[in-house]
Amino acid sequence: MSNSLTLELPWVEKYRPHKLDDIVGNEETVERLKLIANDGNMPHMIISGLPGIGKTTSIHCLAVELLGEQLYHSATLELNASDDRGIDVVRNKIKQFAQTKISLPAGRHKIIILDEADSMTPGAQQALRRTMEIYSNTTRFAFACNQSSKIIEPLQSRCAILRYNKLSDSQVLERLLEIVKAEDVKYNSEGLQALIFTAEGDMRQAINNLQSTVAGFGFVNDINVFKIVDQPHPLVIKKILSYCIVNKDIESAIELLDGLWKKGYSAIDIVTSSFKVAKSIPGINEQKRLEVIKEIGYVHMRVLEGVSTYLQLCGMLAKLCKV
Amino acid sequence: MVNIKDLLGKSKVVEKAKPASKGGRASSTPKHPIDEETKPSPKKRKTDEVKSSYFKNKSTPRAAKATPKVYSVDSDTDLESEDDFKPDPIEVDEDEDDDFLANEDDDIDLDLKEDEEEDADDLVKDEQDEEEEEEEEPIVEKPKKKRSAPVKKEATPTPKATPKKAAPKSTPKKEAAAPSASTGGKSAEDVLALIPDAVLPEQDPEEAKKGFNFFKKAAAAPGSSGDAPEIPEAQPNCLSGLTIVFTGVLPTLDRDASENLAKKYGAKVTKSISGKTSLVVIGDEAGPSKVAKIKKLKIKAIDEDGFVKLLTSMPAEGGDGEAALKAKEKREEEERRVIEQAEKEAAEEEKETKRKEQELKKKKAETAAKAAASSSTSNGSQRLPEEPQRIIPESEKLWTVKYAPKDLSQLCGNKGQILKLKNWLNDWFDNAKSDFQNPGKDGSGIFRAALISGPPGIGKTSAAHLIANSLGFDVLEKNASDVRSKSLLNSNIKSVLNNTSVVGFFKHRDDEAQGQNDKKFCLIMDEVDGMSSGDHGGAGALSAFCRITKMPMILICNDKSLPKMRIFDRVTFDLPFRRPSENEVKSRLMTIALREKVKLDPTVIGQLVGATNNDIRQMINLLSTVSKTQKVIGSEQTKDLSSTWKKETILKPFDITSKFLNGQIYSPNAKHTLNDKINLYFNDIDFTPLMIQENYLYTRPTNVGTSMEHLERVAQAADDISQSDHINSLIRSSEQQWSLLPFHAVMSSVKPSMEIAGTVNQRINFAGWLGQNSKAMKYERLLQELQYHTRLRTFSDKKSFRLDYIPLFIEKLTEPILKYQDEGIESVIDIMDYYYLTKEDWDSIVDFGVGPSKSDNYLKKISTKTKSSFTRKYNGTSHPTAIYKTGNSVTGRVSGGGKQKVDYEDVIEDDTTGKDEQDDEEVDNDKIDAKKDKLIKEVKSKKKAAPKKKK
Repeated sequence: MSNSLTLELPWVEKYRPHKLDDIVGNEETVERLKLIANDGNMPHMIISGLPGIGKTTSIHCLAVELLGEQLYHSATLELNASDDRGIDVVRNKIKQFAQTKISLPAGRHKIIILDEADSMTPGAQQALRRTMEIYSNTTRFAFACNQSSKIIEPLQSRCAILRYNKLSDSQVLERLLEIVKAEDVKYNSEGLQALIFTAEGDMRQAINNLQSTVAGFGFVNDINVFKIVDQPHPLVIKKILSYCIVNKDIESAIELLDGLWKKGYSAIDIVTSSFKVAKSIPGINEQKRLEVIKEIGYVHMRVLEGVSTYLQLCGMLAKLCKV
Repeated sequence: MVNIKDLLGKSKVVEKAKPASKGGRASSTPKHPIDEETKPSPKKRKTDEVKSSYFKNKSTPRAAKATPKVYSVDSDTDLESEDDFKPDPIEVDEDEDDDFLANEDDDIDLDLKEDEEEDADDLVKDEQDEEEEEEEEPIVEKPKKKRSAPVKKEATPTPKATPKKAAPKSTPKKEAAAPSASTGGKSAEDVLALIPDAVLPEQDPEEAKKGFNFFKKAAAAPGSSGDAPEIPEAQPNCLSGLTIVFTGVLPTLDRDASENLAKKYGAKVTKSISGKTSLVVIGDEAGPSKVAKIKKLKIKAIDEDGFVKLLTSMPAEGGDGEAALKAKEKREEEERRVIEQAEKEAAEEEKETKRKEQELKKKKAETAAKAAASSSTSNGSQRLPEEPQRIIPESEKLWTVKYAPKDLSQLCGNKGQILKLKNWLNDWFDNAKSDFQNPGKDGSGIFRAALISGPPGIGKTSAAHLIANSLGFDVLEKNASDVRSKSLLNSNIKSVLNNTSVVGFFKHRDDEAQGQNDKKFCLIMDEVDGMSSGDHGGAGALSAFCRITKMPMILICNDKSLPKMRIFDRVTFDLPFRRPSENEVKSRLMTIALREKVKLDPTVIGQLVGATNNDIRQMINLLSTVSKTQKVIGSEQTKDLSSTWKKETILKPFDITSKFLNGQIYSPNAKHTLNDKINLYFNDIDFTPLMIQENYLYTRPTNVGTSMEHLERVAQAADDISQSDHINSLIRSSEQQWSLLPFHAVMSSVKPSMEIAGTVNQRINFAGWLGQNSKAMKYERLLQELQYHTRLRTFSDKKSFRLDYIPLFIEKLTEPILKYQDEGIESVIDIMDYYYLTKEDWDSIVDFGVGPSKSDNYLKKISTKTKSSFTRKYNGTSHPTAIYKTGNSVTGRVSGGGKQKVDYEDVIEDDTTGKDEQDDEEVDNDKIDAKKDKLIKEVKSKKKAAPKKKK
């Protein structure tokens, strides 16, 4: 990246899909959206799912395809968590927008996009209820949120709920390869694998990590990726834990721990990722797993209190061997 | 008819010949839809006519109405179907209720016993079970065979009686044969031997079990019941007519899953074994008492494998057993009725829309004519032609708008409440004449306002609007999207209220013109519980209006139990709406599906109802979205539908707690991962730990032998909870270590409840900590006050004042009164004056007593006469006041005095703000008062202390 001085968009924005066709994953739901885009008459809807899987993007694409570029700006109102969305805004801005008349082709409606709707206060959501019904002939609502449970039940009842699932690794890979090709990035397959592993189905994360790896090292391999992501490799942690719990082999566990410690990972990083890994470590029953979590948790507490020493970590491993 | 008989004959032949051919399934499946269509043939044709005529009309809207003949037919069916619609569902309900009531109690007892008795020897138990079942065999088998024989004979005549059924029946049999043939070996023969004659569970449990076990050993059965709980694809409604009880822990399926499975295929699942039970599915750890009952009632028992087998081998529609036939008949009857009704409604609606369309056309024509007329006058023409454009074609509306109920009969469920509301509104002005003194028949006559409450999506708002419209009221609606603060309500609504009262004056003058002349208003306040921080004082003002309103008000809310809704309690006519049942929803959904030309399998509706929590609006939304891609909605699609459409709502603390404490999520074959359990805690991170702590002692853990072991587990749980408190203090400390939250989840909720999860012995209590905490705060405050008052005479901090002075005070301040009654009062007042204690302080000091000196012990002994004379005497004389007075005594007196004077509305105003706010305010007040007092203290102490010393 010799010409890195030239102004460069984040790749996430650069490669954001603009058509529903380009959206990766959740084929069935996107298929349904496409049909809606064709036929018009979009229902109220809630799209929920984890971050970075294309919720907001799909809504935007849908709105653009429904209304066309010109109308898009006049006939949509987008509010996200950065906007004031208190009850007053709902009562004034949103209601006014719903009341305004914009001539649209048949089957098209004004669209109010409420991104990150789960961060709206229940009061503001309450105020939306009748608005959604009364003006439904001219205005439709689209919500995007991470947890649909944070949307009050009456709103859920008025909406079509579309759930987005995590993207599969192959879907992320596909997209990454496209970008890699377009940006002419040097990479090896382990690097991409590491990117996908750390992203956990979050496309945005994967692309961001890819870009930072490229910006930082110019070459995408697993070592560089984990350096960028700055996370003790979960596989290593898993190995450590299973040495302790299953094999009761503290020597090997400490050896691995030494490796991590020497790489400069802080105790808190190691403990938190141990906690995460322990939650789903296979091969032991739940009672034992809870014991393991308990021990790790204690160490986590002590580390947070300021005792973030190597000794604490060793102590944790020793305790785990006893579990 | 002839055709069908032919078919039947063929099917019989096919049935026997089929087993060999594997193509049976493929060939038979396409028949299904056809069968269904032919079922209601006579009616269908008519509606088809209607439909076709309708669509013709639609395409050429100016065409004349359809022939009147069709309508008359429709109206006939209308009457019929409505007549027999009601009694049926009620019957069903009663049945279920009876079962439940009769057996619930002993069932619980039994369960408890079972748990105790059998934990260690699972294996032994299993063997026993098998033995028991084998013992049963001869007894069970005999009657079964007897029964099966006549059924077989019956099988032929019944189709004649109800010829419609012949067609569907024949197909499933073929289907049933096909899969079993593919499983191969012995069992296939077994199943085949069973199915043709047998029907029902005649597929004898013991047989099935033995056969299956044998089969399992002999040839490794591919995928029939491996480790993974593979749920077999069975024929639709194959278990209909069966009443199934599940007991014990099934090896692979978890209880809920298996019950759902049985329900899905049309079986009735009950909890306890009774004479009506046709089948028991026994798992491990089935209670001995239940087993005994099974024996006693001679009910067949099968294990999970048997159940799976039953599923795979039962023919669709539950075969042709008596019960199955009955059930099937009933169901079909219902379905037919539903479809009929749906068609009828559809036809009616079509009529309506046609009429509207024509009106619209007329209007258009008129406006066009007008426009044409006015076009000569240049200016005015611009506006008029625009008018018709605004009307939005039906197809562009949301389904929920398009199919919003248009008259009262279209509302699903809550008929009783709707009628009540209607009567109330109807009689409103009569009641108004009697000034709401006459309660009337149902006691609604004394209310000026009605409050409809119920979960979302069940038609509360629709009902209110429809009723108001049908009675000729003009509706004024305010909902959560309007600002509804006190001042705005006062300015807007109050004026409207007055408006009607003026109309009232006019009414008396010209009684005759009343009918046409007066425009009655009705105020609908929607989403009353949605009044939030922006609507300061709104609820209070509203409840005040409820008392004085001169026009009917209908309030609507979701949750009546909220504290802020409490002020409406006695001023409104309470109408709780319930979620409509499956039957009530069915016809409506079928109508919509029919009109949208979506093929909807009636059995699917049950699943929709389950997935959406009986929310009819959600169901319509769901249908509308799904129908974008699929025009046929069968049972296959609903599986994933219901999972994706499940409304995710935050669980209430009680639900969370019961989930945690009742052992099911911890049973080894439950599909709850650790993350799921941790997520349970995240539903309510504040209450869950408190609730667990409150209730963890009241369970009977599973798999605990001795009470010693139980105690150990409780100890472990207590240990974890106390540790979690430590973590919590770190999280909420100034350091805000929120990253420890998952750990807190584990320690405060997941781990303790894992230790003691089991049967919950009693009702789950609400966390007592909150109450206790506020009590502690109150005493803290009182103590503070006492210490301030006595400061001049005592020399201690708060703690030692509590420990050293108060016990003595209690003694000294009550003893004389107890001993000498009225004569003792004097000396008590002397002591109080010495320590600058007020009468309130006396009360609080006595209140501080614990143990033997608990306040009740003293207060009870003092007679009321003495008490009142004490008060009188104290108030009669003047007393040295303490130098500093804390906030509470000051505000207490002010508010105490104030309350007597304060008029009605102000009191309400006090309650209006939500409870939380109120609490906050109180705290604030205290703080402010304390500050004030400190200031007062500083200033006054010097001034007042000086003169006192002089004295």
